[in-house]
Amino acid sequence: MDRRLGWLLTTTGAVGLVAAFVLTVEKVRLLQDPGYRPTCSINPILSCGSIMASDQAEAFGFPNPVLGLIGFTVVVTTGVAVLAGAVLPRWWWIGLQAGAVLGAVFVHWLFFQSVYRIGALCPYCMAVWVVTIVICWYVTLHNFGRGRTVAKYHSTILTAWLLVLTALIGTEFWDFWRTLL
Amino acid sequence: MTKKAKPRTSAFNAPARRAGPTRRPARGWWRNGNLMLTVTLVAAAVIAVGAFLLVDGTGSEAEPVTGAADPRLVREDSHRLDVAADGKVTLVEFLDFECESCGAAYPSVERLRKEYAGRITYVVRYFPLPNHTNAQNAAQAAEAAAKQDKFEAMYAKLFDTQKEWGEARTSHADTFAGYAEQLGLDMTRYGADVTAPATVERVNRDKADGTDLGVQGTPTFFLNGKRLQVSPTYANLKKAVDDALAAGA
Repeated sequence: MDRRLGWLLTTTGAVGLVAAFVLTVEKVRLLQDPGYRPTCSINPILSCGSIMASDQAEAFGFPNPVLGLIGFTVVVTTGVAVLAGAVLPRWWWIGLQAGAVLGAVFVHWLFFQSVYRIGALCPYCMAVWVVTIVICWYVTLHNFGRGRTVAKYHSTILTAWLLVLTALIGTEFWDFWRTLL
Repeated sequence: MTKKAKPRTSAFNAPARRAGPTRRPARGWWRNGNLMLTVTLVAAAVIAVGAFLLVDGTGSEAEPVTGAADPRLVREDSHRLDVAADGKVTLVEFLDFECESCGAAYPSVERLRKEYAGRITYVVRYFPLPNHTNAQNAAQAAEAAAKQDKFEAMYAKLFDTQKEWGEARTSHADTFAGYAEQLGLDMTRYGADVTAPATVERVNRDKADGTDLGVQGTPTFFLNGKRLQVSPTYANLKKAVDDALAAGA
């Protein structure tokens, strides 16, 4: 185990937590005033409003960021505990693994829905996608990857995957990005 | 923090090593070629994007072309809201009455139609998306209104009121019947038409054509058979139509 994992979990968890918190607050504002324009609705493609108003934003019958508030809090807590020198038992890491995998599956579904069904992107949501994938990857390596080749090329593989997702977004909205240049 | 941790193995590291394989500490994750490869990958991606931008500089609009005369674009029974005298420029929109971006594009389309009345043909095709509870109902309501020559009025009504019924999870078929009544439709006929198998079939045919043409989301516009790749703002639509008119002249 490595202090770096502690730092990684603390920072990515914090980023995810901030994003989930902002999304929750924005959702409340949007509910209070349907005409409210979320801070992240920048243009037709980068638009939280259309995402937050979609059915997919409440995949389980309540706003998705509620899951983030809970999940990322656990991640930050784990990270801080590791930094504080706690030795967490195996079952703790397996539990975190389960949560991280479910989270990763969920954000990939949200990615698909956002890019191919709703046709808009929300910056805070994308931050959540990235940190969830990063967390899942490093928790998996921590639990199962020790000494393996995949662990050796940890950031190469991670970067490759994030670039694939970026490329999918890039091609889907290609003409839009082009107009920004 | 890091200052303290770096030089010596932290107390924290010891139990982990005891538990895990001792061959190599987890620190191995961060070693050697990995960083190099990662940087290379990112650099390659940046170069690839740059290259695409250069190559794409000119003719990206021309990508998904289908013949302007492709029968899947405009059928005999498709709803033409405007018809151009010369028939040279045809704008086809695959739309979903419940889709928010379609509602957002609607004022732009209306403004454009007013401005280019008689110079462009504007055709509406149904493309109700499954994740919108009332999209199919709305399309059927529009089709039932069309049977009484009120398609355009219903089309406008549905978009004007989209915020009142959109994104709901319950059926708004009654709301739409209310609109039909406001538009002065014969309600006995409307009631029969709105759920008639022929109406459902008619909506499904539009959707099948759209799927065939590669429509994935709404709104999707085809201008003379060319799918518009830009977001449907007034400025973008106007530019595309102007270009098409100039090309046809």
